[in-house]
Amino acid sequence: MLNYLFRRLNLLLITALILSIIAFIISLWSNQARPAQDVNVFILYADYMGNLLQGQWGISLINQKSHMLNGLIAFSSTLELCLVALLTSIIIGIPLGIFSGIYRNGLLDYAIMSIALIGLALPAFWLAIMLIMLPITFDMGLPVDGNISPIYDIPMITSFQLIDSLLASDLYNLAAFTDRLTHLILPSVVLSFFLTSEIIRLTRYSISQVMKSNYIKAANTKGLTVIQIVFRHVLKNALPPIIPQLRLQLNTIISIAMTVEIVFDAQGSGVWLLTSIKGGDYLALSAAVIIISGFILLSSIVIDILQMFISPTTRKMLYADK
Amino acid sequence: MRFILIFTTALILSGCYQSESSLKDSLIYCPESKALSFNPQISHDISSLDATTHQLYNRLVKRDPTTHNYVPDLATGWLLSIDKLSYTFFLRQNVNFHRTDYFTPTRHFKADDVIFSLQRMLDKAHPFHSVNQAMGYYFFNHPFTNLIDNIVKIDDYTIKFILKKPDITLLDNLAAHYSVILSQEYAQQLIAHGEPDKIDFYPIGTGPYKFKSSNDAGITHYLNHAKFWGDKISVNNLIFDVTENNTKRYAKLLTGECDIIANPAPSQLKQMSEKANILLSSEPTANILLWAFNSSKIPFTEKKIRQAFSKAVDQNNLLEAVFYQSATATSTLLNHQSWAYNRRSTNIQYKPQEALSTLQEMGYDFNKKITILTPVKNSLFNHSFHKIAELIQANLLKIGVKSEILFLTQTELEKRLISGKYDTYLTAVNGKINEPDTIFRPLLSCDSSVLEGNSSQWCSKEVQSLLNLTLSESNFTTRIKNYYKLQEIIQEERIYFPIAHVLRMDAFKTNISGFWVDPFTGINFQHVKKTEVH
Repeated sequence: MLNYLFRRLNLLLITALILSIIAFIISLWSNQARPAQDVNVFILYADYMGNLLQGQWGISLINQKSHMLNGLIAFSSTLELCLVALLTSIIIGIPLGIFSGIYRNGLLDYAIMSIALIGLALPAFWLAIMLIMLPITFDMGLPVDGNISPIYDIPMITSFQLIDSLLASDLYNLAAFTDRLTHLILPSVVLSFFLTSEIIRLTRYSISQVMKSNYIKAANTKGLTVIQIVFRHVLKNALPPIIPQLRLQLNTIISIAMTVEIVFDAQGSGVWLLTSIKGGDYLALSAAVIIISGFILLSSIVIDILQMFISPTTRKMLYADK
Repeated sequence: MRFILIFTTALILSGCYQSESSLKDSLIYCPESKALSFNPQISHDISSLDATTHQLYNRLVKRDPTTHNYVPDLATGWLLSIDKLSYTFFLRQNVNFHRTDYFTPTRHFKADDVIFSLQRMLDKAHPFHSVNQAMGYYFFNHPFTNLIDNIVKIDDYTIKFILKKPDITLLDNLAAHYSVILSQEYAQQLIAHGEPDKIDFYPIGTGPYKFKSSNDAGITHYLNHAKFWGDKISVNNLIFDVTENNTKRYAKLLTGECDIIANPAPSQLKQMSEKANILLSSEPTANILLWAFNSSKIPFTEKKIRQAFSKAVDQNNLLEAVFYQSATATSTLLNHQSWAYNRRSTNIQYKPQEALSTLQEMGYDFNKKITILTPVKNSLFNHSFHKIAELIQANLLKIGVKSEILFLTQTELEKRLISGKYDTYLTAVNGKINEPDTIFRPLLSCDSSVLEGNSSQWCSKEVQSLLNLTLSESNFTTRIKNYYKLQEIIQEERIYFPIAHVLRMDAFKTNISGFWVDPFTGINFQHVKKTEVH
C-alpha cells in the first residue's frame, strides 16, 4: 500500500517538475518578468519556484489582483460546470450504455450508438452557438448566459457559485440557487453531449465484456432474469474499469468546457485566459498551466487511490511486484 | 433518446426558474460595450455617456426631450445681462449628493460644486485637471476655453458666468454631457486620502441612481438614490450587463436576461418588429458616417476628382446592404433635425458613367491603386466598416478604379493618419451638442488636426473665416445663413462623401416604459417603469 503511494508520488513529482519548467519558460517570455541578460537561468528558476510556493504568482495587469486568486476563482467556475455536466452525463450515459451492452448488436444498440457517435463528432463550440439561437428560433425561455443573473449579488465565499448561492439563501431564499442552476443548463448540455457519448461507449464495451464471461452464462442457466443478472453480477464487475478510462477524459472535458464558456460568456478559466491574452497579460498563461494541469495531476492520483479501494482487481495489481 | 432526456430534465428544471425580468424592482440594460470611466467629462463614447450622464449626475440646465428647449436642472433659473457678456444662474437648494460605502456627504449641493466641476476643465492649475490624463482628450477643455472668461461665486446659491465675447452656445455647453456636477467635498476627501484618480471611477453625483459596484465582466450595479431631489424613482436596482455579441444580446432580451438592449443588429430588426412582446425605439442622432478624401494628396487635390468619386458610389445600395432600416441617407454633414440644416441641398446621385468620363477627362491614372483606410473596430453606431469599405471598393472597380482596403487598429491608424500617406478614410463622427460648429470645426478647420477629425486635411481661408465669423455671431438668422453657405461650399467642394446618419436603436420588452434616449447625452432611466409580466 505505502509502496504504491510512493510510486504514485514519484510520478507526481516528475510531472510537476516538467510542468513548472513549462510555466517558468512562459513567464520568461512574458514582458512582466524579463530578466537581466547575465543572470543564470537556474537561479531565476529557483526564484520563480520560491515565489510560486509562497503564493506570489504575479499581479494581473487587467484587474490588479493576484494571478493565483483570479485563476482559482475562474477555474472553480469551470470545475463547477464540468461537475454538473459529469453528473448529468452519468445519469444519462450509464443506463443507455448498459442497454446497448446487454443487447449488443441489436436494434436498440445501433440506435444508441449512432446517436453517441453524432455526439462525439459534433464540435462543442458549434453546438453551443446553435443553442444560443434557441430562444430566437423557438421562443424557449432558457437563459443563454453562463453566469448567475446580475440581479443576485451573492457574496463570494467558496467561489463555487452553486454553493455560494445556497449559502446566500438568507438573502434570496432559493431563487439565486435555481437561477444559477438554470444558467448552467445550456452550457452543461453542450458539455455533456460529448461526455455522455464517451460514457455510453465505455459502459457498453465493459458490459459486453462481462456478459461474455462464464459466470454470467452460469447465472443464465440458473434461471435468473436479465434484470437480476445485471444488478447482481454485471454492474459490480463492469463499472469499476470505466473509472480509469474516464480519468483520461478529464483534460478533454476541461478544455472543451473552456471553449464552451467563451461562447456562453461564463466567467470561467476560458474567458479569463482569453481576456488576459487580449490584454497582453501573458503571466496568466503560466498560472493557468500550473492550476489546470496541477488539478488534473492531483485528481488522477486521487482517482487511482479511490479505484484501489473499490476494485479488488486493481488492488491485486499493486502487490504483483512482490 | 438521450437528447430527449436531457431536454426533459432541462424543461422540468426551468419550470422552477423565475425569469429575471419578472422581478419588478430590478432593471437590466444590456449595452454593447463597457463604459471607459464613470465621468462623462473625460469619456465621450456613447457607452460611457449611457452609463453616467443621466443616471449618476445632473447638470445646471438640460434640454426638454419633446420641446428641445432648455429647462432648469440643478439651476432654478438664469438671467442674461444686457451686454450679453454674463449669465447669472440661481441654484436649487437642498439637493443631496449620493451616500455610498465610500463617501458620506455632510452638506448639500452649492455653488462651490459647480465651480469645482467646471473649473476642472477650464483651469490648468486645478488639482484634478490632469487626473486620469483627462486633458489628453480633445473635448476636455475645448468647448469652454474660448467661451468662458471666469466663473464667479456670488453666494452659495448664485453664480455668474463671465464670457469672453457674446456667445450663444453657453447654454448648449452647460446642457452637454461634460457639464455634469461633481461633489467638491468628495474631491477634497480623495485628495486628503491621496487617491484623486478615484473621482472618475467611484463616482459621486446628484443623479437619480448611485453607483454600487462594477466588475471585470462588465456588470455595473446602481442603486436607487433615496434622497434624490426630483420625482421618486420606481426602480431600485439598475444593472448594466455588457454583452458584446449581437445575437446573444437579442437572445438575452427574449429569455428575460435583459430588459432593454442597445444597438440590435440591423439584420435582426425585421424579426424583432414581428415579435409581439418586443418594442423598438429609434432616435436620430448627430452621428454621421463619412468617407473622407485626403485633399492634400494627388489626385484628391482636384475638386473634380473628388466629385467624380462621390458619383461613383451607390449610396442607396450601401444603405440597404448594411443598415437595412437603421440609417437615413444624407447628402450633407448635418443631421436633418439640426436647426442649421440646409433643406435645399441637393442629394448625391449615383452616376458611374459621368464619373468615368470626368476621370478620363482629368487624365486619372487607372493603374493607380487608391487606399481606403478603415478602422478594425466598429464604432458603436456603425455596425460594419468592413462591409461598407468592400461595397465602395466594388463600386469603384465598376468604373475601373482599383482600390485597396487597409484595416488598421487604433494605434496603426493614428500613425497612418498623422503621416498623411492615405487617399481616403472611412470614419464616423458624432456631434457632442446640438451646435453645428461642433461638427464643422473638427472636420473643416485649419486649426483642427487630423486626429481631431480633419481627416481630409482640409484648410481654406473661406471656410475658416466663415466658421470663426458664425461662432461669434449673435444674430440667429445670420448664423443660419452662414451655415447654409458653408454647407453649399462643402457640397460643391465634396471634401467628404457623407454616407448616412445611423439611428440610435434600442429594443425593449413591452413591460418597460418611460425611458428615453437623448441623441447627445445618452439614455435616461430616471422615469423608467417596469410592470409585471403575465
